[in-house]
Order: sequence, then C-alpha cells, then structure tokens
Amino acid sequence: MTTTTETTRRINLNRVSPEVYEAIVVLNTAASKDIDPDLAELIKIRASQMNHCAFCLDMHSADARKRGISEQKLTLLPAWEEAVGIFTEQEQAALALTEEMTDLTRHHVSDEVYARAAAAFSERELGQVIAMALTINAWNRIGVTTRLPLPKR
Amino acid sequence: MTQTLERLTADRLKIYKTSPELYEAMMVLSNAAAKDIDPELGELIKIRASQINHCAFCLDMHTRDARKHGVSGQKLDVIAAWQEAGGLFTERERAALALTEAITELGDGHVSDEVYATAAAIFTERELGQVIAMAVTINAWNRINVTVRLEPPRR
Repeated sequence: MTTTTETTRRINLNRVSPEVYEAIVVLNTAASKDIDPDLAELIKIRASQMNHCAFCLDMHSADARKRGISEQKLTLLPAWEEAVGIFTEQEQAALALTEEMTDLTRHHVSDEVYARAAAAFSERELGQVIAMALTINAWNRIGVTTRLPLPKR
Repeated sequence: MTQTLERLTADRLKIYKTSPELYEAMMVLSNAAAKDIDPELGELIKIRASQINHCAFCLDMHTRDARKHGVSGQKLDVIAAWQEAGGLFTERERAALALTEAITELGDGHVSDEVYATAAAIFTERELGQVIAMAVTINAWNRINVTVRLEPPRR
C-alpha cells in the first residue's frame, strides 16, 4: 500500500496510447445508453471506492451532486446494505452486482446476487448495468495506474 | 462474430445480444490494446489477470492462444508463481506481470511506485501504455465473462 504523498510522475495514457483512450471513451458511451443516469453514478462511485480511484471519486461525486443525488445517499453508499430504506430495490440490486463484479479476486458473481439483479431489471437494463460496472472498473485501473491528478476544488 | 458467439454457452445473460454496442466497443478496445505489444507478453498478461479474477473461459482461451504463440508449457505451469521462478521469465515479463497483478488487485492496494518504476524503467512510454492497456482490457473481459458465466468449451 502506497501513500498519496508520493508524487512520481506517471504516463499520460491519452498521449502514449490514444487509440486505447478513444476506445474506452466509445465503451463509456455504449455503457451509458439505456441506464438511469443517477443509478449509473452510484455504480461508478461504489466501484471507485472499492478500487481506491481518487480522481474517479472526485469526478463522480461532483457529477452525482450535479444530478441531484442526495448527500445522504452519497454518505451512506459504502454501507448501502445497512441503509436499505434509503436505496431502491434497483439500486440495491445494481450495487450488489457492482460490488461482486469489482471484487472478482475474492469470489465469483454469486447466483444470489445475479438473480436479484435479473429480477429487478429487464435483460437490456441488466446488460447495461454490467457494462457500466466493467467500464468504470476500466477507468479506475487507468486512473490509479497513471495516478491521474486531482483538480483543486 | 455473432455466429461464433452463438456457439458459446452462457448460463446467464447473452450480453452480446442485450448490449451489442458494448461488445463492439470491447472488440475495438482489444484491437487497440494489442498494438505494439509482443503477443507472447500479451498472453502472459491475459492469463495472469484471468487467474486472479477466476475467469474460466478466459483461462481456457488464452492458455490455448499462448501455446499457439509458442509460450512454453513450463511458463504456463508456473506463471501463477512467477516471482518464485527465478530466471524462467524475462525481466520485461516480470515487470509486466508485477504491474498486471497490481492493476488487477486494486481492491487490496494501489499501484505502488516500486512496481510502476520497475516497469517504467524497462519499457518505453508507448510500450508501458500498451502493457497497461492490455491489463485493463483483459480485466474488462474477465468481468464480462465471469458475470454472464461464459462456459469454456469441452475439449
């Protein structure tokens, strides 16, 4: 575990691998179709918390506030399972799926979590929830590995 | 592509049907990540990430692809323990595998300065960008295939 005080300059992926960057932007556009934008922000924030992507958390918390997502939801997101009355069934199902998809190193995507999401969403919606979760995971990996600098706010 | 996909068995969602733009974007990303990277190194990155993420379909596919590219059976056997395998893996392979592991295991820690600096010292900036891209891309495929539970074909 490193600390955030390290200031080693890392590569700018957009400059050294522009086709990759463009492809992830296309992926992001594809994943953003047919998904509720508020739900998408919750997926992005929860995955970014688990993957420790500071840049992503900063960006998506700001985006979520712009969309009108409540401070209470943002505060309780890491403990959503203990705050079930605050999150809708769709949000809970999507967050559970996002957590298991993000945590693949520890376990699989369980039948229980998959079935809950399959019951809460249409097949198209479920495909797009999965797409959003894996897309933010890709951004998280870029953000952390290249240590994207945080804007001062 | 769809014809090939139709032959695959997924217990769960046929995501290439529900989210075709996702599949197209992933193919574009895969092609972009495969540029300017040694194909053997690319396969080692894909296999190690797929081991950590427990993607059966991906392991089945990429160990076969690795053999086709001439990666030795010994390397495939011990890649999960590459750090203990002395000189079996080249310095470039070791640097890329260490970086891949860090990129794959974000839940357990960051990408340390040590791991990053070792890779940055041995690869050009372009090569390093493509190693990162390959690790990011296989992580995305791992997440799709584990979530929809794509089954490896019986061989």
